[in-house]
Amino acid sequence: MSAPPSRTDAVPALAADDLSVSFGPKTALAGVTLSIPRGRVVSIIGPSASGKTTLLRAFNRLNELTPGAVTTGAVRFNGIDLHGGEVDPVEVRRRIGMVFQQATVFPRSVFDNVAFGPRASGYGGDLHELAEEALTAAGLWSEVAEDLDAPALALSSGQQQRLCIARTLALKPEVLLLDEPTSALDPAATARIESSIHALKRDHTIVLATHGRRQAARLSDLTAYLAGGELVEYGPTETLFTNPRDPRTESYLTGRIP
Amino acid sequence: MTAPARRRDPLGMACGAAAFAVAAAFAVLVAFLAVEARPVANPGFLLEMPSRMADGAGVGPALAGTLWLALLTAGLAVPVGVGTAVYLEEYAPRTRLAALVGSALASLAGTPPVVYGVAGLALFVRGLGMGPSLLAGGCTLAALALPTVVVASRAAIRSVPQGVRLAAYGLGATRWQVVRGEVLPAAAPGMLAGVCLAFTRTVGAAAPLLVLGAVSFMTFAPRGPADPLTSLPTQIFAWTKRSEQDFAALAAGAGVALLLVLLAMNLAVLAVRRRMEDASR
Repeated sequence: MSAPPSRTDAVPALAADDLSVSFGPKTALAGVTLSIPRGRVVSIIGPSASGKTTLLRAFNRLNELTPGAVTTGAVRFNGIDLHGGEVDPVEVRRRIGMVFQQATVFPRSVFDNVAFGPRASGYGGDLHELAEEALTAAGLWSEVAEDLDAPALALSSGQQQRLCIARTLALKPEVLLLDEPTSALDPAATARIESSIHALKRDHTIVLATHGRRQAARLSDLTAYLAGGELVEYGPTETLFTNPRDPRTESYLTGRIP
Repeated sequence: MTAPARRRDPLGMACGAAAFAVAAAFAVLVAFLAVEARPVANPGFLLEMPSRMADGAGVGPALAGTLWLALLTAGLAVPVGVGTAVYLEEYAPRTRLAALVGSALASLAGTPPVVYGVAGLALFVRGLGMGPSLLAGGCTLAALALPTVVVASRAAIRSVPQGVRLAAYGLGATRWQVVRGEVLPAAAPGMLAGVCLAFTRTVGAAAPLLVLGAVSFMTFAPRGPADPLTSLPTQIFAWTKRSEQDFAALAAGAGVALLLVLLAMNLAVLAVRRRMEDASR
């Protein structure tokens, strides 16, 4: 590992360096190099099976839970190699939180869902305070405050996804990985989640994989376009959307590639 | 609103007829058993000792033996079987060896009970010096139940959605926390169904116990695992070999007792399963 630069701002929150991931014979990511600056929202756009999910999961070492996954290249978090021998993947996942495409709440109460992560890591503080804070940040508090003991499965799908965001926030992660968090939701629920993401920008670095080109444009500072597991183009969202350098990016943005 | 028009549904009717036939066959079976067992229909029958005289003989020791065997089998087969299933599904690397162990277990689940009796005789009765005791019987029946428990538990664990594991791992849970807190509770109802199936097959098995040397004439009810091996199925077998009509009634009565034991066990498992499912809702 090379000596880290002295100014912490210069060290990106996350960086992939010639990152390739394959599952058995299938290559999901091929030689991706990009860095996610601290405190920014970065969108990963691209068609289905372009490697968005695999890239997000590489950032918190979730790919290794899939049998047959092989990762080469490096992923760095605050300059530290995540695959270094002394790095504990459990600790990585506590600091780099993830929200999945399918809201998977645990079949327990709303409170127990939010308390899951803190309990798993042996949090010693006031769980109720932490839960209120996380639910407020996810924009769900006013809807569930009355009955935190209600079963989480009784919530609407939009509420369940915000509960998943709150659950991740309760870990107080530095980075949030959001994997198409609104793809299964109706426009009203999507709008609510987007406003939560807006509010979260202040304290978190956010990586958002999304199908929605307009969602990327609305929410992110930087956008990366992935196709077939390769990084086609990466730059400031506005530049990428108004003046893409690569013709492939342009055809995706204009809808010629679904 | 009017009721929906009834459509012809030949497949549905055929399936309904099949279900009815099964229920009817079972009812006839139980009815015959009950009629046959009428001469011995008194509460004392469950407590009395077997006798050379058919009159006044009972299934006391056999019933106690079967309950002991059920307890021993459950105590041995459930922890070992569930542990094996959890290891194979959640911990073991997906190697050829793991796949080999998996298919070996599946073939063991199809091995006839009497073969387990032969192995149990060599290993438990003689090799480990347990003699023809309830303990040797329990160990043999546990070995008989084990593959079914493992196979069914693995299926139950595999049916837990991968999203649940990912969500828990994604929230920084350790493997143990994921397995203990998420996978096992979600798989438990399915595992119980498998355990129940294995049990019904095991507790009713006579062949392996006969090979081990089960006794059918005891003057006291077994009080512990070291006592002589006796059980309802082997008692039934012993009585059916007698030619007198009175012993046929005894065998039928013991059959009814065995069915009642299995029914009680199934109902208990069902109750536990209901509570588990309610708790996870």
